Amino acid sequence: MTAKDNTASKPARLALTRRRLLATTGAAAATGLAAPFLGAGRAFAQKPIEIVHWSWLAASDGEVWGKMIDAFNEAHKEQNVQIRLELVPEEQYVTKVLAATATGRAPDFGWGTAGKGASLAKDGVTVPRDDLIAEAGLEIGDFSESSVSASRYPKYGNKMYMVPMDLMSLQPEINLDHVAEAGLNADQPPQNGDELIEWAQKMTKRDGDTITRSGILMTGSGVQPTVTWGIIAAQMGFQRASEDYKTAAVNPDKGIAAMQWVLDLFDEYKVSTRDVTDRYKAFGTGNGSIFWTGPWTLNGYVGQGLNFMTAEFPNVGGQKKTYFEMGGLELYTQRDTDRYIATAKAVKWLSDNSFLWTTVGRGATPRLSILERPDYESAGHPWKVRGAFVEGMEFATIYEIPVVAGPEFTIYSGGNFLARTLEGVWAKTKTPQDAMAELKKGWQEMLDDD
Amino acid sequence: MKSGSNTVSAVKAASLAAPTQGVRRDKAPIDWIGYVFVAFFALPFLLFNILPVLFGAFVAFTEWRIIGTPEWIGLENFADAIGDEWVWLAFRNVVFYALIIVPGVTILGLVFALFVNQGYPLSGLARTLFFAPNVVSATVIGLVWVWILDTQYGLLNNVLAQIGIGAIPWLTSVDWALIGVSIASIWWDLGLAFVLILAALQDIPKDLIEAARADGAGPLSRLRFVTLPHLRPVLSMVVTLQLISTLRIFSQVYVMTNGGPAGSSSSPIHYMYTVAIVRNLYGYASAIAMLLFVVILGVTVVQRFVLRETQ
Repeated sequence: MTAKDNTASKPARLALTRRRLLATTGAAAATGLAAPFLGAGRAFAQKPIEIVHWSWLAASDGEVWGKMIDAFNEAHKEQNVQIRLELVPEEQYVTKVLAATATGRAPDFGWGTAGKGASLAKDGVTVPRDDLIAEAGLEIGDFSESSVSASRYPKYGNKMYMVPMDLMSLQPEINLDHVAEAGLNADQPPQNGDELIEWAQKMTKRDGDTITRSGILMTGSGVQPTVTWGIIAAQMGFQRASEDYKTAAVNPDKGIAAMQWVLDLFDEYKVSTRDVTDRYKAFGTGNGSIFWTGPWTLNGYVGQGLNFMTAEFPNVGGQKKTYFEMGGLELYTQRDTDRYIATAKAVKWLSDNSFLWTTVGRGATPRLSILERPDYESAGHPWKVRGAFVEGMEFATIYEIPVVAGPEFTIYSGGNFLARTLEGVWAKTKTPQDAMAELKKGWQEMLDDD
Repeated sequence: MKSGSNTVSAVKAASLAAPTQGVRRDKAPIDWIGYVFVAFFALPFLLFNILPVLFGAFVAFTEWRIIGTPEWIGLENFADAIGDEWVWLAFRNVVFYALIIVPGVTILGLVFALFVNQGYPLSGLARTLFFAPNVVSATVIGLVWVWILDTQYGLLNNVLAQIGIGAIPWLTSVDWALIGVSIASIWWDLGLAFVLILAALQDIPKDLIEAARADGAGPLSRLRFVTLPHLRPVLSMVVTLQLISTLRIFSQVYVMTNGGPAGSSSSPIHYMYTVAIVRNLYGYASAIAMLLFVVILGVTVVQRFVLRETQ
């Protein structure tokens, strides 16, 4: 039998002609497109209100936040209101929010950092929420004054652009095994620069000239040296911007002195090494003794059984200050404005029930009613690791600069204008004086453009 | 003869029929089904490749933050880019990346391919192992190499310590970070070059090698006068592909050093990412992208000219 014979013997209805192919493809496509609408009436009738929430919390704090959302969904099963949590990488968060808003598909609410969202407020991406907060029944009077103040952008209507969820600061976490090994008294942690260096020197381990365990855990670039400089510089009296946000780099000499202090950790006191690649991991594995970081690390370190405590940031520069950060929930602009009140009520519930979040998840609570609860201190992580992050908020006064270019001013960054300018100083390819001149010029242009 | 006369007849028949067929072809309706099949590829390609490129070119001349309308600012972004020391640093770095990675990948790919082509025992396993890194994602490669190259506790420094070499700050020093990223990149990119060169090696007629051997040519002479000339087209292709790939280096940089310290390992794409995604300056990032496009185009044209086939 030839090939031709074989073909001819097939039933005619199975032959695939061009017309049949097109017809079949068209029918399949039409069916596919129509499928979602088949039985739509029934589906819509049962569809709950779904509030879309974007979050960048992907570390150990993210697990706790996930529990918060689960708790909300569980509590609102009957009301048919559910939150859909979607994770977005922090670095890409703003870009994605902008893109989603531009296409009319913004999430209902998401995480924001106080002081860093001026451009979103200016562009109308975030919704000023004073009215919504009142309508949803949230009592502003129950929030700490600093948290309410940090939620506002004085240059853009001075309205609240987020509901404060937790207050964070940078405080030194100290490895207690290293403290005991060095014969130091954990009950009397360092209070000033001299004591800090003394502690660090006693806990640093070296092999010849090589530091094998950092007394003060630093990295050679990125966030850690930048934020350290920012804190010490502010303690010394340096200001990134004047109170009226018109003049950049006030008291530049103090900023230069702070750069030198950071450099001395590496080169003079030799208590830090530039060779650490992952600071979180290094502290968790005992390769660093003192590590100033935020409360977002607690859940992880406590979970892995690390023996550590947290102390208040020492007064190195003359004024006791540390970095302030506030996480809050922002509402994003929607085409369907009816969604706002449902979202505001969901955010109110999360705020009212943030006891877990502010005892185990991340920072201190901004809610006075939660702070006054008798079990606030005893709940969650042990006070020896959590206490400094709560009590230390008193002197956490290094705020963000609430202008459009705010992210370029923040001291907690590894890639913004500030961090990139300082990188040359840490790598010793640029002098502190040159770096300060660049900062002053660049920041001033940003303030002038604002 | 019979076959020859048949051919002549066929040609005559074809020439007689040609005008008639031409007329018929001109009058035939357009075969739209062909366009439909092409559209399955062409439309997404236009929509997701060509259109974004054109839009990116337009955005390069504007100030734009996604929200709102792009504001036309002419060549301002390009002027800023040319005056930006970080742009120059990124482009300088990528030249160094190319100088390390392209020869590294090409030479090692050639050496490994020559080795496997010998057909030694376990050469099949070696072939798999040499190609394996290429199927792993750049992110995984980066994370693994961060561990291998860690200054204090990395595998490589531990091995070097055994032979008395002190700890090298592969990823934490301005002098070494670019080299550290390059090592990981060579390891990752080697597989494709290796496979291409091996395929070309296996296409070289054995007769030629045997003839050269019979004429008294040693291994080096055979490599130089027989093998390498036959590999010239594939080596040219490997160098071109690798150069373009290296000029676009991003993932390894992002995962391993994030461009640091002090920008010493940054690349144009990494800087562009920082400018666009972290700082939301899309017009400026697009201008840098256009500059990179011009550089890649220029380098490719020059390279194709230098490595062109000559008689």
